[in-house]
Amino acid sequence: MPPIRDKFTIHSKAVVCQDVELKGDITIGAGKSSLHLRTIVHPKATIFAIAGPIVIGSGCIIEEGAIIVNRRKEVMRIGDDNLFEIGCRVESPTVGNCNTICTRARVHHTLRISSYCVVGAGVLVVPTEDEMLDEYTVIYGPAAERRVWSGRGKVQEMDLRRKHAEYLREMLPKFNRLRRGDGA
Amino acid sequence: MAPKIEYYCPCLSESPHPPPPNRPSSSYSFHPLHNLFFCEECDAVRCNRCVSVEVSGYYCPNCLFEVPSASVRAEKNRCARNCFLCPNCRNTLTVVPSDPPEDVDSRMSPIVSTTLGEPPFFLYCNHCRWDSAEVGITFEKPTGLAAQLQKFEDSAPEALEFERLKEHFEPFLRASSSSSALPSASSHHVHTNPITAAASSALARDIPGVGKYNPLSRSRVGREKGAHRQEYPDYKSRVEVGTALSGEADVEFLRHLETVSQVAALEQRWTNSWVSPLSASDLKPLRIPLQSKKSKRCPSCRHILIKPEQKAQSVRFKIKLVAANYLPAIAVTLPHAQAAIEMLKRTSKTTSAAAQAEEQQAAGALIAGHSYSFHLAFTNPLYDPIQVRLAKAIAPAQTAEGDEAAERARRSTFQIQLPSAAFPVGAFAEAWEYDDEDEAMFLDDDGMEVVEARGKKGKDGRGKTRSVGIVEKRANVTIVSGEVLIPKEARGDVKFNMLVSYTYRSDDPEPSEEAQTGTPSRSHGANKGPEMKNFSFYTVVDLGSIMYREEPKLTADL
Ligand SMILES: [Zn+2]
Ligand SMILES: [Zn+2]
Ligand SMILES: [Zn+2]
Ligand SMILES: [Zn+2]
Repeated sequence: MPPIRDKFTIHSKAVVCQDVELKGDITIGAGKSSLHLRTIVHPKATIFAIAGPIVIGSGCIIEEGAIIVNRRKEVMRIGDDNLFEIGCRVESPTVGNCNTICTRARVHHTLRISSYCVVGAGVLVVPTEDEMLDEYTVIYGPAAERRVWSGRGKVQEMDLRRKHAEYLREMLPKFNRLRRGDGA
Repeated sequence: MAPKIEYYCPCLSESPHPPPPNRPSSSYSFHPLHNLFFCEECDAVRCNRCVSVEVSGYYCPNCLFEVPSASVRAEKNRCARNCFLCPNCRNTLTVVPSDPPEDVDSRMSPIVSTTLGEPPFFLYCNHCRWDSAEVGITFEKPTGLAAQLQKFEDSAPEALEFERLKEHFEPFLRASSSSSALPSASSHHVHTNPITAAASSALARDIPGVGKYNPLSRSRVGREKGAHRQEYPDYKSRVEVGTALSGEADVEFLRHLETVSQVAALEQRWTNSWVSPLSASDLKPLRIPLQSKKSKRCPSCRHILIKPEQKAQSVRFKIKLVAANYLPAIAVTLPHAQAAIEMLKRTSKTTSAAAQAEEQQAAGALIAGHSYSFHLAFTNPLYDPIQVRLAKAIAPAQTAEGDEAAERARRSTFQIQLPSAAFPVGAFAEAWEYDDEDEAMFLDDDGMEVVEARGKKGKDGRGKTRSVGIVEKRANVTIVSGEVLIPKEARGDVKFNMLVSYTYRSDDPEPSEEAQTGTPSRSHGANKGPEMKNFSFYTVVDLGSIMYREEPKLTADL
């Protein structure tokens, strides 16, 4: 395997803390709606583009200790308004919009995530064959049970997520140095 | 498995001596120290099996509201505020308003200010995202939800039937309770609080058609019952229970099943009071069941042993007579196992927890044909020093048939050596009150050899250091060492009963002055002169099971 070439493209409005581990070809905050929304990357998060590049949209929140890994050659695309909670690990080749990966959940690279999905706290999802998670799928509990969410309450949840991101945009730079992209 | 020690409560047996530890039933007589109580009146250990328990208050575990006992029954033992369980995953539900009408491009729009509290409201599970609108339950106001749900519950045919049954028997119950208060019951009510009294009188009530066990007045009750039966008409049920109709519907439902999860799982139906739907999609939110705080009394003198504070938020106790405040805490360790585990930690390269546990177990094994020393660490909870004496409890002589059998038994059972002399354990004090010089007085270089003169120290014939006696003494902890010798033929667990006696300074005045008996009390007290008292209790020490190396001639021998 050739050595990993680092290339970081960070949107000027994204908030990426200095103490973040980045490796490989990474683009942060390149969503369609980036006019209003910023992606927040907390300190101690890890983003590893081992094989192919990683492109993260806008409005995402990546919390402390979250690990995002791309093991495949193809581009790993993460959409907008996703929340990666503390200590989760995601290797999905694609992640749509408005998903929540809860604390210490682990998602294997055989699972693609569409939109409005929830992977519950501590849940381990390791499909043996490639699988695409339907919209509004909720995986929860120690047995990784699944159900389909009605979607009721999603507007309020997204509203809350935006307020969450907005608050972090104000507070994080007060206590952390920020990272800029190569180009900026 | 790590070696462990448990304390004996004699409530299950007639004799004060514990049962032989190798009997499976003996485990019911032994308890971890932290589960035991101590009655000062009776000067005895009490366990959860022998104490009498009474409810001192009901509360909701979610909102911590203290429910008056009068409303517990009306609210059917469940929270009547806004506390609900998710019928799908049993997480607690939250009340949320409906989403505002979605704009064409709401996701892309900047922060929308949520219009506050748009009805209808519904219950929402943050964990599995179940919501009550799925089963058609929504609310116009976010308050008083339980009352609305209870209306559903109370209108269920089973609940109605139960109400009618209660109505039917009401006049009879009133008549019987007014006519004859059971004379035997009255003596019991001396110490009970109103809640317990209500509960026990409800249980003691004579129910028509149900025989009440009363060995003394059996015939009398029987006659009364017969008499009442004629006075009251038979009850006519208004619901058909278990009709073939519902059975057929269930079969139909099962026939069209696609996934197992469509059927409500046992855990999902468990917490429901009445008949719960078979289909997972029909499950309704449940009001959270109430919990109770309980106090416990000594079975013989009825003094309170433990009593929680009334407040649901409080985790403290008004009265707490736990054995840990009276008896020395004992911890057992096997030094050879600990040393081996330390070695493994340093050298081992295996990473899996299972493999590590296995390695550690192998390292700490007790192998037949060897002898091992074990450590007993005594921690004194009293404000005065104590003198402890140990003895191996000898099981009430099981007469062996013939000398040969006895000899065989002797050869195949392990031998325990305990320090024969009494040893001191320092007084309990706050950590900063201990002098530094107290510590490490008896510690020597390798921590194993015995320096304390009173211990059964010294060397046996071959010059090998024997280690029965005090190993270490610091603050209010004394560690003594014993030895177990496991013959080649021995099998099973190294488990033995140990009698622990200790003398302590009693604060009580001369016994003649008051009827109080000596109790290892923790309280300070200024009085005339120290008086020494003695207290003994039994324990069971479990060092682990005996391992043996496969030797074909041995198995042939057995
Ligand atoms: Zn007991
Ligand atoms: Zn409640
Ligand atoms: Zn739930
Ligand atoms: Zn008592």
